Amino acid sequence: MRNWRNIGEFEDFLDDGGIVEPNDDIPDPYRKAVFRFIEMHANSEYMGGLTERDWIPKAPGLHRKMTALAKSQDEIGHAHLLYMVAADLGIKTREEMVTDLLEGRTHFHNVFHYRVHSWTDQIAVAYLVDAAALASQQAVFKNCSYGPYKRILRRVIVEEGFHMRNGEEMMLLMARGTDVQHQMMQESINRWWLPSIQLFGPDSKPDDELLRWHIKSERNEDLRDRYVQKFVPQLLAGGFTIPDQDLRQDNENGKWKISDIDWQPLMDTMRNIGPDSSRRISDAKRAWYDAEWVRTALDDATKAQA
Amino acid sequence: MVAKAAIDAVRAAVASVADPEYPDLNIQQLGILEDVVADRSSIRVDLVPTIMGCPALDVIEQDVVAAAQASGHDVTVRFCMSPPWTPDRITDDARKILAREYSVAIRPRNGVTSCPLCGSTALQPRSDVGPTACRSVEWCPNCRNPVEVVRSREMGQK
Repeated sequence: MRNWRNIGEFEDFLDDGGIVEPNDDIPDPYRKAVFRFIEMHANSEYMGGLTERDWIPKAPGLHRKMTALAKSQDEIGHAHLLYMVAADLGIKTREEMVTDLLEGRTHFHNVFHYRVHSWTDQIAVAYLVDAAALASQQAVFKNCSYGPYKRILRRVIVEEGFHMRNGEEMMLLMARGTDVQHQMMQESINRWWLPSIQLFGPDSKPDDELLRWHIKSERNEDLRDRYVQKFVPQLLAGGFTIPDQDLRQDNENGKWKISDIDWQPLMDTMRNIGPDSSRRISDAKRAWYDAEWVRTALDDATKAQA
Repeated sequence: MVAKAAIDAVRAAVASVADPEYPDLNIQQLGILEDVVADRSSIRVDLVPTIMGCPALDVIEQDVVAAAQASGHDVTVRFCMSPPWTPDRITDDARKILAREYSVAIRPRNGVTSCPLCGSTALQPRSDVGPTACRSVEWCPNCRNPVEVVRSREMGQK
């Protein structure tokens, strides 16, 4: 067990690239910050898995069904690993975290506060949203100071990369499809562009403790900008338009500049009053209690084996 | 008849195809590449999936065809269910990389699984499957990390 005399010494350790392990004497503020961050990530994976699950019966064809099934398993599995690490930090039990989520007392990513209306919405989620989530996870992984979280992220990133490849493939299929398919995809891009951009959050504050403690490694605005530079040309190449009237390209450096962002929609999702928040939360609650018998049966089976 | 040199070239090219879930490892190290066979005019690559219904099969197939093409040969891919894939097919090098890079252990045929991070043998089972159907999730009470363990695919066998 390592310990540090004061927060300054701890921060020096972090600045030198030190990795914090659960058996260390972790300073309280860091423990709380890393816990909140992982809990939010776990909640988001869980809610994302439920969204994906909705499309298993509706996916067009066996092939897409298998993918939807595997993606649901990935997301729920990631939540499972993350809740284990979060619970180990000793601030809340796993049961408390689940209850808080289902009672709407905690948060999950803004993108899961919107309704997925159609199969092309689902493609937009796989292509635009998963890419945004992946970009922010990669930025955390790069320099993450909490060991167990960094190790989970390593696997999460590979699996999310796989989802993105799948989303890209499906988006290109629609881009080259019939006029109707192209139009459907465009409508979904119109719905999901802004939520994807907002996933990175408002500009980071200068004194952001997540940055100072190397939980995050890049500023929100930098990640957002990189995303814009990558996805604007990709969407245009697919023959789509970007739902931003003031979008323009700098003549000198060729960089894309989006219009000012109205952050109110993000703030609403953070208060669980987004467009689909209440339905999402009550759906998650129903799914949780519907599966009570499965958990009981598994627990009983484990006890019987022991 | 396809020349032996062509078969060897395809084998060399497809052996280095990265696995989609473990990009640091290739399909040969994981024991997914079974054989490269040829008849009079065509070459076929036989692959053994780690698990039935693995969602990564399409991607592996595309990557194998592309790698063969890059070596100047067209191939077809066949997924075979026999011999069955087992974790025994994973090479020793690959095991070290799985442990170090992915916190993933392989369940030995006989004996106890140890934590891929700290070596503790006190792992506690948490769920039979994890983010993927081919790995179970366990908790290491010593270093306090969740770890994943590659399962054997026979039903009922952990």
